[in-house]
Amino acid sequence: MKRTVPLMIVMVGGILMILQYFIPHQISQTVFAYYTDWTPIIVAFALVLGVGSLTRIHSHKIRRKAKNWQYSYAVLIPLFGMPVLAHIWPVSLSGGMESPSIFHFTFMHVQVSIQATMFSLLAFYIASAAFRAFRAKSALATVLLLSAVVVMLGQVPIGELLGRWLPETGLWILRYPNLAAKRAIMLGVGFGMLATNLKIIFGVERNWLGGTGK
Amino acid sequence: MRKNWIGIPALMILLLLPSLSVAQGDDEILTPVAEEQLEEPDPGLDVPGAVTVQDKDNDAGDNLLVSFELPANTEGIFAYNVYRRVAGELGEEAWNLVEVIPAEELPEFIDGYDPEYPISTGVLYEYRVASTTVDGEEFFGPIFEAGIVSKGEIYHTGKTKVLIAGGLFIFLIFYYFGKAQRGAKMYLRPIAGIEAIDEAIGRATEMGKPVLYVPGLSGIADVATIASLTILGRVAKKIALYQTPLIVPNRDPIVFTVAEEVVKQAYLEAGRPDAYDPDSVFFLTTSQFAFVAGVNGMMMREKPATNFYLGMFWAESLLLAETGSLSGAIQIAGTDAVTQLPFFITTCDYTLIGEELYAASAYLGREPKQIGALKGQDACKAIIMSFITVALIFGIIDVVANTHILDWLRDLVTTPIIE
Amino acid sequence: MNIWGKMLNIDRRWIFLGIGVVSIVPFFINFGMPVRTTREVESIYEYVDELGSDNAIFISFDFAPGTQAENMPMSVAVMRHAFYNDVPVFMTANYPLHHGMMLAAMDYVFNPTTEGFYEDVDFEDWRELREAGVTAKDELVEAWENQGNQLPDGATGWVFEGRDYAALGYAPVFSLVILGLTVSIETQYPVDAHGNSTGEMPMLQEHKSLREVDLALTSSGSGACVWWVTFAREKIGLPIAFGLTAVMATDYFPYLQSGQVIGQMGGLRGAAEYEVLLAENGITPSTDKAFVGMDVQSAAHLLIILLIVMGNIAFFAGGFHKKTLLKGGR
Repeated sequence: MKRTVPLMIVMVGGILMILQYFIPHQISQTVFAYYTDWTPIIVAFALVLGVGSLTRIHSHKIRRKAKNWQYSYAVLIPLFGMPVLAHIWPVSLSGGMESPSIFHFTFMHVQVSIQATMFSLLAFYIASAAFRAFRAKSALATVLLLSAVVVMLGQVPIGELLGRWLPETGLWILRYPNLAAKRAIMLGVGFGMLATNLKIIFGVERNWLGGTGK
Repeated sequence: MRKNWIGIPALMILLLLPSLSVAQGDDEILTPVAEEQLEEPDPGLDVPGAVTVQDKDNDAGDNLLVSFELPANTEGIFAYNVYRRVAGELGEEAWNLVEVIPAEELPEFIDGYDPEYPISTGVLYEYRVASTTVDGEEFFGPIFEAGIVSKGEIYHTGKTKVLIAGGLFIFLIFYYFGKAQRGAKMYLRPIAGIEAIDEAIGRATEMGKPVLYVPGLSGIADVATIASLTILGRVAKKIALYQTPLIVPNRDPIVFTVAEEVVKQAYLEAGRPDAYDPDSVFFLTTSQFAFVAGVNGMMMREKPATNFYLGMFWAESLLLAETGSLSGAIQIAGTDAVTQLPFFITTCDYTLIGEELYAASAYLGREPKQIGALKGQDACKAIIMSFITVALIFGIIDVVANTHILDWLRDLVTTPIIE
Repeated sequence: MNIWGKMLNIDRRWIFLGIGVVSIVPFFINFGMPVRTTREVESIYEYVDELGSDNAIFISFDFAPGTQAENMPMSVAVMRHAFYNDVPVFMTANYPLHHGMMLAAMDYVFNPTTEGFYEDVDFEDWRELREAGVTAKDELVEAWENQGNQLPDGATGWVFEGRDYAALGYAPVFSLVILGLTVSIETQYPVDAHGNSTGEMPMLQEHKSLREVDLALTSSGSGACVWWVTFAREKIGLPIAFGLTAVMATDYFPYLQSGQVIGQMGGLRGAAEYEVLLAENGITPSTDKAFVGMDVQSAAHLLIILLIVMGNIAFFAGGFHKKTLLKGGR
């Protein structure tokens, strides 16, 4: 029963969604709206579970004084502090989300900075990964390497100074060979999605229900 | 499963119930009534003529195609104001201005798109059109009854090509499902990344270190996430047997609940429910880079021996994989995000490219139906490849012989904007 | 280990240091290297340039603070272009964090320290004029200035909340929100991010749904940009423009070729191109942050290429190509 009901909901829901795509009638639209109305509700409740999980794990860590337990405070305090500052803390005491407020300040000067820093690490990691991995080991690898160099130079103004052909070749690589390869992978991915969806709708693939579906 | 089929129609009826409340009555089409003159047109500005109303095809019964005859003399006319009211309602306040058409544009429009004045299915309306001066002074034409009511269609004729193509591909996949079940032998190209999964788990066990499994950063609606969760089920079962610690951080709360269930069930199936640690699967944060910071921190502190990155990834792919490489873990990645593949290929030991991620579950399970689905996919691809070849030949013919057969082929398979 | 071996196994912190140096130095020595525009960006510019006060556009802030260095300049550039032409701008965000990015973009464009800023008039401040039926931009500016308000020095023009822009912000499950916007904007956003009733806004009365909007620019750091194509372009034919991070840009060329998007700005380069077009046409007094960033990018790309070349020299000179392959690759 624990497996049958979810499988049936998926099958009926999946078939109805396929059918409604071809049926413009009001009844079909209402069924679709009915389904989509459920989505935010499910998301909202799942978020409660998510926050519950995070809180449970970190309070366990603090209680057990597990390794690096101090960091758990760095998770829990902002997790509950930020919503309080945004929605409960009185506006007269710099609460609320509008600037100027503690929430706005923390968002702009802590969260934005930290996230931008994380993304900036990409530049460092790309350099390190490119140094280690880009080798002209074979003919194909050499083509890849040369294309990478041309596209990289073509994307920046210095490429323009080295010669007009560089950005033009770079753009040509992006517009044609890149597009062809991308489209080929997209087609494969598209059919993969179709097959996976059919397997799930018709209960062939049940691993998502837990375990190996046996 | 077979006996459960009886429940499906019942469930379908249950799910359809809420829509029954909107089921319409008879869509009786009324005949037009005699025209009624509202007021004498001002001799200064000519007024529009007859209004024609047609039901719009392929809609939910909430649109009408409205057109009107332009006045004989359009001099001084700035725009046309189109008003609508429910037939039978009286008084000026019953009229709603539903469209303003500038004088230079065609005198036709689709009524019902304005959310303030929607068209209801089966309701008869009346229209009148006014010529307006640049100052907004209106000169009304006669009132016309629509003569037709809007009704919804049960099949969208514009989607026939999608239906045929979709039907063909679905048929092929089902055909190979059946063929595989009947015991036909099917060859599967070996994929190194999938074969290395067992070895990677074994390595973690030998080293006594945990396995990190990131099921992508996307939501449950992403097929890559679902594919990843199916692989997680199989990986978790092996991990349960080997009693290796498992870490599954999640970015999406729904994915988290499903992943938790998947792992719990896998431990149960492996006969080791006691070994399941409820803290092994957890929600981290919905914020992309905060998630990366969290996972990278775990990699550096816990030093997992094996990292799996399977699912949908964006800019965080290299941040995760490079940190994993720094921590010395063996790494297996798989994603259908084409732009992230180079990052994984350069930093991971094995990478599943695009559809290989979807195929992984079939490879690991070796169940006939799963393998059949893979073969069905290949057949679909063969059709597309043949089509591309034909299009290429037609394209060359067009250039050489100055014909337009490629356009014909393009029209044959493409669909315009749906509505 | 010989010198080549040592070179290949160089501590990666030296590489990090090199990238750090080339990323910081160009900020102090501004080379101002020329940026040539491409047709992918020109097409967006030309499209927006054709629009006027009767039209309206959406700018969707679909990026988090992490990618703001790339996504923010392009959103800001299109916003300034629209304001210059009096095109009303609806602003949305597909995630709570992205909502903050929308507010940050507004802060930047309305900030008097920004060169060529716009003077923002709050929705409540011009209520009287609105209720008197003065909503056409020209009349509104005239009436507003007649009330004794003066455009500050250095400002490019006035922007009236509800007439020139509506900060709609974040709404949950954004893919479904886009679907809903095709029917009604007001139903999806009864109030804007500042709590103003959208139904009272003149721009919403003139543009009630996406069907009455002329363009949506999604400045995106994730796959959310495709939602606009799926739910708005394919359903009602709304023209879409992409603003993407450089990494994502290669992924979306098929949408360009198929005509599903009118153009795309890829990364800092795309944003810099738009800034160049704005500055060349006198819409902004000068180029902005993305253009400055191009010097940094030039230096960083050169260093990475240098590293790749050095890596290959060491690889072949040290004879490593004859031995077992190093880690990496499939």
